[in-house]
Amino acid sequence: MSKAKIKEVNELGTLVKIGSGIALAILLIPVFIVVLTGLNSGDHLTFPPEGISLRWIFAFFKSEEFLSAFLFSFGLALITMTLSTIFGTLAAIFITRFSFPGSQLLRALFLSPLILPGIVLGLALYIFYVSTDIGLARSYPGMVIAHMLVTMPYVIGTVSASLFNFDLNLEQAARSLGASPLTAFRKVTLPNISNGVMAGSVFAFIVSFGQFDVSLFMATPNNTPLPIALYWSLRYTFEPTAAAAGIFAIALVVISMLITSKLVNLQKFSGVKFD
Amino acid sequence: MEDIKDKNNFLRIFYTYRPVLLVLPALILFIIFFIIPVLSMFVLAFDKPVTGVLDLQGEWTLKSFLRIYNRSLYFNAAVTSVSLAALASLITLIIGYPLAYLIAKTENVTRNTFLMILVLCAMQLDMVIRLFGLMVLMGDNGLINGALMYFNIIEKPIGLMYNKLGVLVGLVQFSLPFMVLSLIGIIRGISPAVVEASRSLGATPNQAFWKIIIPLSMPGILAGTLLVFAISISSYIVPALMGGWKVMVMPLHVYQQIAEMGKWQFGSAIAVVLFCTSLLSVIVYQRVAIRIGGGRA
Repeated sequence: MSKAKIKEVNELGTLVKIGSGIALAILLIPVFIVVLTGLNSGDHLTFPPEGISLRWIFAFFKSEEFLSAFLFSFGLALITMTLSTIFGTLAAIFITRFSFPGSQLLRALFLSPLILPGIVLGLALYIFYVSTDIGLARSYPGMVIAHMLVTMPYVIGTVSASLFNFDLNLEQAARSLGASPLTAFRKVTLPNISNGVMAGSVFAFIVSFGQFDVSLFMATPNNTPLPIALYWSLRYTFEPTAAAAGIFAIALVVISMLITSKLVNLQKFSGVKFD
Repeated sequence: MEDIKDKNNFLRIFYTYRPVLLVLPALILFIIFFIIPVLSMFVLAFDKPVTGVLDLQGEWTLKSFLRIYNRSLYFNAAVTSVSLAALASLITLIIGYPLAYLIAKTENVTRNTFLMILVLCAMQLDMVIRLFGLMVLMGDNGLINGALMYFNIIEKPIGLMYNKLGVLVGLVQFSLPFMVLSLIGIIRGISPAVVEASRSLGATPNQAFWKIIIPLSMPGILAGTLLVFAISISSYIVPALMGGWKVMVMPLHVYQQIAEMGKWQFGSAIAVVLFCTSLLSVIVYQRVAIRIGGGRA
C-alpha cells in the first residue's frame, strides 16, 4: 500500500467507518432483536428487557405450528437443493463449454428468476397449475418446481464461475492420455469445480429455506414453509415462539455462510457468482 | 441395410448433439414452468376481465390496463410502488457505499471474509424473520417507542410503522446487502494509481474522493441502484408487514385481486405492469453490468 493511499484512507477513514457502522447496524440489529426476543423471559420483548430464559426455545420444540413448518422447509430445501444442483450444474457446463448463437440469451433466461418479481413468478405458476389442472396446484411437487426456478440461478452462476477459472487444457490432457470424455470430466474437471458446485448447492438450500414470494400462492395448511407460517402469525401478534424458530433459522444461515466461506473465495463474490 | 444406415445416422446425430443433453433438463423445466406460465399470465392480462373461477374468456381487450390507469386506487399504488422503490434505492446507495468502500479496501483476508459473511448472512436470512426484528423495534409497543417513553422523551408512541416510513425502512433493510455487493467489485477495481496521481497533482483527499473515486464507481452505483429498484418494487412481504396493508403497493394488489377477490384477469394485469417495470430496470441493469464485467456479466 502506497503512502498516499494510507493517508487517503486515514483521512476519509472516519467518515467511512461511521457510514459502515450505520449500514451494519441496519443489517444486523433486527437479527439481534429476533435472538433477544426468542431468549427473553417475558411474554414480549420490552424496554428494558426482563431477563433471559429458554422457555420460548422449549415452546418452539412443542409448537405444532412452527416446528412442523421448520421441518417442512428443511425437507423442501434439501429436495430443492439436490434437484437444482443436478439440473443447474449440467446446464452450467453446457453454457460455459459451448458457445452458440443465443448462448447469452440462454444464460439470461436461467438467471432471470433471480431479479424478476417472485410474487409474479408465483402467480404465473399458480395460473398455469390451475388452468392446466395437472394436479400441481397447491401440491408439494408444484412447490418444489417453483423453488427450483428461484434457486437454479445461484447454482448456475456459481458453477459457471468455477468453470471459467478451470483450465480446460487439464481435461484435454486427460483425454489425450486416453480417458473417455466422461472419465476425464469425472476425474479431472469435477474435483476442480466441486467447491463451486457445493457452494452453489449451499446457496440453493438457503434460498429455498428462506423463500417467501414464490411460496405465497403455493402454500396450503398441509404445505406450509416456515416463512409463510411466520408471516401468518406475524400479521396478528409477535409470538416469542416464532422468534425462537427464527433463532434456529439464523443459526442455519450462519452455518451455511461459514461453509461457503471455506469453499470459495468470498472476496470475489458479487451477488450470484464468484469470479 | 437401410436400417443400419438409419441407425448410424441417428448415432451420428446423437454424438454430434450430445452436449445438448446437458442443458435439456434445465431448459425443459424453464420452458414448461417459466416461459409458458409467464406467457399465459400475459394472455390472461389481455383477456376480458371477469370475477370468479379462472376461466379464459377468449376476448382480447385492454380493459384491465385501462382500469389500472383510470382508478386512482390502482394508479396511486403504482405511483407509491415506484416512488418508494426509487427512494429506497437512493437511501441504500448513501448508506451502502461506505460499507462497500470499507470492505473493498480491507486487505486483511480474515477481516474481509468476516465482513462478507455478515453481509451475506443479512442477505440470505429469511426476510420475514428480519421483519420480525424490525417490527419489534419499530412498533407502537416496540423498543424505540418503549425507550423514548421510558426516558420521558415522548408521552405516547409515535407511529414508526404501518405507514410509508415503516415500509421504506423495511425496504432499505431488505435491499442494502444487494447494493453493497454491487458496489464492492467496482470499488476494488479502481486503481490506487489513479487516486495517487490526483493526490500528487494537489487534490485533497476529499477532492480525490468526489472527483475520482465516485465517478469511477459510477457503473457500480448505477447497477446497484437499478437492482435495488427492481427488487424493492417487487417486494410483497415488506409492505404487507411494515405497512400493515395501509400502504398499498402493486404486489399487495396482485395478491388481493387473485387470492381474495378471484379477479384473475385484473390481478394478472397488475402483475404484468409490475413485471414490465421490473424488467425494464433489469434490462438497463444488464446493459450496465455487461459494461462493468466486459461482456461477462
